[in-house]
Amino acid sequence: MTDSNATHTDPGTERTDEPPADGIDRRDFVKAVGGMGALSLSGGIASTVLDFDGWFGEDGHGVGTEYGDYEASDVVYTTCGQCNTFCPIKVRLADESGTGEYSSLVRKLAGNPYSFLNTQPNAQVPYASDPEEVATGDLEGTGEVDVSKWSLSGGRICLKGQAGIQTAFDTYRLRKPMKRVGPRGSDEWQTVSWEQAIEEIVEGDDELGHDGLRELWAYAPEDEVMSDWEAVQAGELSREAFDERYEDVLIDTDHPDLGPKANQIIDVGGFRRNFIRNRLWHQGLGSVNSIHHAGVCGISSVVGNNRSHDGQKKRQYPDVENCEYLLVWGTNPMVANKGPTWLAPKLTNAIQDGMRMDVVDPRLSKTAEKADTWVPVKPGADAALALGMARWIVEHDRYDETYLRNPGEDPAADDDEPTWSDATHLVLVDEDERPKARADDLGLEADDPESFVVVDAETGEPAPADDVEDSLLDVEITVDGRAVASAWTLYRERVLEYSLEEYAEMAGIDVDLIDELADEFTSHGKRAAIMAYRGPAKHTNGFYTARAISTLQHLIGNFDWKGGQITTDAGYRTMSGRYELGQVPDGHEPWGIPILRGGVNYEETSLFERDDGYPAERPWFPVAPPMATQELYASADDEYPYGVEALFIRPYSNNHVMSAAGGDTIPDVLEDEDAIGLIVASDTVLGETSRYADYVLPEPTYLERWENFGTYPNKRLADEKLSQPTIRVVPDARPFEEVLIDIWKELDLPGVGEDAIPDADGDLWSLDTSEDFYVKLATNIAYDREPVPDADAEELELFEQAHEKGLGEHFDLEEWRDAVTEEEWRKAVTVLNRGGRFEEPIDGYEEAFAERGHDYDYAGRHPETNAYDGDHLRYRLGTRVDFYDEVAPTGRHAYDGERFDPLPRVEDVVHYNGDVQVPVTSDDEPDRPLQLTNWKPRTQGMNRTTGSAWLRETQPENAVWINPADAEERGLENGDRARLDAGRRTVEATVRVTGGIRPGVVGTAWGFGRQGGGATETTIDGERTDGATEEYGHAAHSFDTPGVDTSGYAKGRDAGFAVNHVQPLDDELGDVGLSDPVGGSNAQFAAYVELEPVSDR
Amino acid sequence: MSMIDTPMAVTVADARADLYGLLAAALDGETAVLAAAMCDGSLVDVAATLPVEIDASALEREDVDEEALSIAFDNLFVVPGPKYVPPIASAHRDDPSEPFESDSPFHDEGSAGELLGDPASTMSALYERAGFQPQRGEFPDHVAAQLEFLGAAARAEARALEDGDDERARAERFRTLQRETLGRLGWLDAFHEDVAAADGRDGVYTALVTVTRTVTAWHARDLEESDR
Repeated sequence: MTDSNATHTDPGTERTDEPPADGIDRRDFVKAVGGMGALSLSGGIASTVLDFDGWFGEDGHGVGTEYGDYEASDVVYTTCGQCNTFCPIKVRLADESGTGEYSSLVRKLAGNPYSFLNTQPNAQVPYASDPEEVATGDLEGTGEVDVSKWSLSGGRICLKGQAGIQTAFDTYRLRKPMKRVGPRGSDEWQTVSWEQAIEEIVEGDDELGHDGLRELWAYAPEDEVMSDWEAVQAGELSREAFDERYEDVLIDTDHPDLGPKANQIIDVGGFRRNFIRNRLWHQGLGSVNSIHHAGVCGISSVVGNNRSHDGQKKRQYPDVENCEYLLVWGTNPMVANKGPTWLAPKLTNAIQDGMRMDVVDPRLSKTAEKADTWVPVKPGADAALALGMARWIVEHDRYDETYLRNPGEDPAADDDEPTWSDATHLVLVDEDERPKARADDLGLEADDPESFVVVDAETGEPAPADDVEDSLLDVEITVDGRAVASAWTLYRERVLEYSLEEYAEMAGIDVDLIDELADEFTSHGKRAAIMAYRGPAKHTNGFYTARAISTLQHLIGNFDWKGGQITTDAGYRTMSGRYELGQVPDGHEPWGIPILRGGVNYEETSLFERDDGYPAERPWFPVAPPMATQELYASADDEYPYGVEALFIRPYSNNHVMSAAGGDTIPDVLEDEDAIGLIVASDTVLGETSRYADYVLPEPTYLERWENFGTYPNKRLADEKLSQPTIRVVPDARPFEEVLIDIWKELDLPGVGEDAIPDADGDLWSLDTSEDFYVKLATNIAYDREPVPDADAEELELFEQAHEKGLGEHFDLEEWRDAVTEEEWRKAVTVLNRGGRFEEPIDGYEEAFAERGHDYDYAGRHPETNAYDGDHLRYRLGTRVDFYDEVAPTGRHAYDGERFDPLPRVEDVVHYNGDVQVPVTSDDEPDRPLQLTNWKPRTQGMNRTTGSAWLRETQPENAVWINPADAEERGLENGDRARLDAGRRTVEATVRVTGGIRPGVVGTAWGFGRQGGGATETTIDGERTDGATEEYGHAAHSFDTPGVDTSGYAKGRDAGFAVNHVQPLDDELGDVGLSDPVGGSNAQFAAYVELEPVSDR
Repeated sequence: MSMIDTPMAVTVADARADLYGLLAAALDGETAVLAAAMCDGSLVDVAATLPVEIDASALEREDVDEEALSIAFDNLFVVPGPKYVPPIASAHRDDPSEPFESDSPFHDEGSAGELLGDPASTMSALYERAGFQPQRGEFPDHVAAQLEFLGAAARAEARALEDGDDERARAERFRTLQRETLGRLGWLDAFHEDVAAADGRDGVYTALVTVTRTVTAWHARDLEESDR
């Protein structure tokens, strides 16, 4: 290596006769240099660019000088749970554990250097690296902090992640199981033993007057019930006999399609879904109802993306490193969407390297700040912008025609295209559901009668897509007496439905800007891509908008191309391999109509006839999964389609009172014991939702329990993250899955206890603890593909030492070890000692890393990279992409029976009954003038992180952003208190006057205005605890001017206002926010408000 | 650390800063600067004071054709053609390298180096650490950027020394920066040889790089001795 070698070969002969260097020759040198007239021309040293005083200032950024040495036995790797990025992290245990109840303090949280997710832009340490060398920073190639400002002894972590210490060690943590005293929501509790809590949940309790699961639960298999039901219809079985047989088993013997009573026992969680949802709820209990957060998250985007591709593709992400043009749409990847540690460095480096990035967002977000162009679209009108761009692209022939004319995989492969589109596939346009034509439909002979049909460009004749090399795009003909048109013809008609000027007006964007965006997007071949998520999707038109944005990429066919659209969830097997963790011997098969009515056609249920067809009492979501979470509570209240007998909720990740639009209506339902008979919450603190439970059970935080969080969808290499208990803060906290194991055992339900988990040889293993499941999961990860190396004796010892240090008496090595075979244990330890498994960027990485070090982009630049295969990504979508979604029109709107649209479309944001809330295509006038948008706060992860004073110090409350033009009109100045009138509710807030928000739109961060999580007064066993609402132990402070940090002290946990509580309720339903009937999302950007000063300054 | 004669140390550091500034300008394509220093013979005078004998005669001309100088510079250091010698450290690394299409001799595996490789990132980190933004050279590891930084560090050292005893520790930190930068200039050996092979008959740039290489080598030795 020539750059680091300081030895110069002297270019001439040394002047041995000269005096020493300190002598006269120095003076000659100085004199000679002083005589150089050219110095005045050279400008000398540009001292003007230097601030000498700033050099090595004591507070120099980035280079720390003081640190304490530690060893690998001070470190346990796990996964962060502060936001849904779920970064792999390193927990550095404190040297002294003190005398608290906790097993260990945490000195510091940092990123996990074994994971490429947390070492951007550098490479991760090789997987086989000795944990001792990694922890001490002695690994060859790791880098030195004081030379390269980077050492791979730790990885990146964000502010929220570091504050995880305050989540684990929160004063307001729940310490014991608690049972309510007095009515629900009265905040009075008594502590009970775990035994009592489980006993009462199972057997019922006279004191609170609720039934137990033993009485509530009943199940019978679907085929048995439905075969008897058919016998009733055929007159072979009397109705009385049927009723007698099933009245204690079915929800309603008049409507057996609702399923068994087990369905009235509902789980609302999200995390640990492969364990609790799949194993315990579905197969153990036989209930279809285990619900996660999707409805209040980005499900319309997920469904819209899925329906735009034949293969599994939930999200849109670019191959950032090689992208020349990136259009970020309604997402803020510098802050969210897997962004802070992973995408932020990638994006800034890519911009530095010349990538152009434009950002569509009504607000100048942290990402938009770095954009070439900020495109402040009108909220809810994103589809108009997308279809406007599509129109420009179509009219200017800027689509990739060669790509679009490929009818299938083989012709695409001939063009080096990993994907192909349905553009030339024919649609039966006169049919009710307008499906795509199959060869059989048109009387064509084909090897596969289900083959799609195209018109062969060579013959001009219709033919099975499989038999054609090149097909025609524009087709509108009659074949075998049936009218057909190509998907492209229909898509083209759709995008031409409005003029560019009309689209521009709807979107609130200049025509010229639409031209520019479309031009730029189509000027980089395959190296342009879109990253989009919740912004355009969380409206009632979200599904169609996600489709409109997604299909823009079909036009350039950028999928799987280097620099194009990336589609990887690449990971390692978790649920199968050595152990079939998803299998439950003699398990139940859940069936019946889900309470959230997803994936079921209303018309095909017995309720359609009962309720005289349209409109249905509440919305149905026939083409989305049953995850419209926002509908749960009002459905329970209406007993539609049936009542809820028992609700088990883990509000740590599903605090719906805070996270659902109109969540302020939920407590009314929760307080009603007739609506929901039994509510059990497992929570870390007493949150807004768990406050209303009958029993609240103390749950460990993410630092104290197991988890296998989903991985990132936008990476180039495979990985699998694994959380494990690192410390125990609350001795009596129990992970909910273990509590459920005990309850399931009491009820003698399958899936737990002895003989619960089959291994690859068919032998059965017991499931009594979390370790029984998760150590096996670690083993599955370890053995996938090429198994990981065995942990040697030293690593085994290290594992024991670190876990003993972290967990103290709560660590039972034998229990962990006995969960798998002795041979497997060594590999499981390898995975656990690294917090998961992370694919290396090249083969032979260990040697390359030792030689070249961390600061080389192996994945991106090395010729033998595992990330790319030539010009393509190695992990691929590799399927058809769809302009035309033939699934959507199989579903109908439950209000009027209108079929859903197979094509992207632009439409208003509407209520269930079609009343317009946000006009896009129509001219309706909203009730109030300012549209209210909202966003994830930069320094909060979820509602669950506002307990951290460190985080609240960075932004104590949520100001309302308002454009100077709108502020002036209302006499508002930055820092003023204002009354925000949203119609049904009015709140007070501080205004931030800024040009960083579109005129006519105001906005704020969500997550504030809490009434739980330590923000309320609580009485436990007669002892009153105040809410942390007053200064939180800090000196008095003021934080009155948004954007100006005057104090740095946190406000109380209840500061600010809850933006979801000023969202409109659905006009027709009156008890919940608006929903997208196709994709299932809760509409969370739908409010119109007015602002006025609270008082004179 | 050896005792330092402060007044002399200050003037030497300032002189080095000046000289590095001039060399940086000349190697950044400012042919007017180079031409002026050639016409008045001052570069040759400076070369004569260096502790080794070098042939810098090509740098003394009564009449300099600035345009020819500019063309020579472009062909040597800017245009990736047959005479091209990349003036950046990354290109002179021999590991790793990927072959690429080029008319230049620097495209074969084992000699190509790369653009913005490790040396660039190391220098960039060094600049960032010092709060320095190079104005010379297109890349952080461009010879002109490295010389400019050396000059800035020398200047800063001089000012710190002038400020007296309290600032000696600070001066030492600036010397550390110079040491680290000089440690990253080993590639000048290869650069010099390549320029000598590609340069035209007049050999102006060969001589300029000779001076540069000698000045930096002397500087490195000087710092080494001050450590003893």
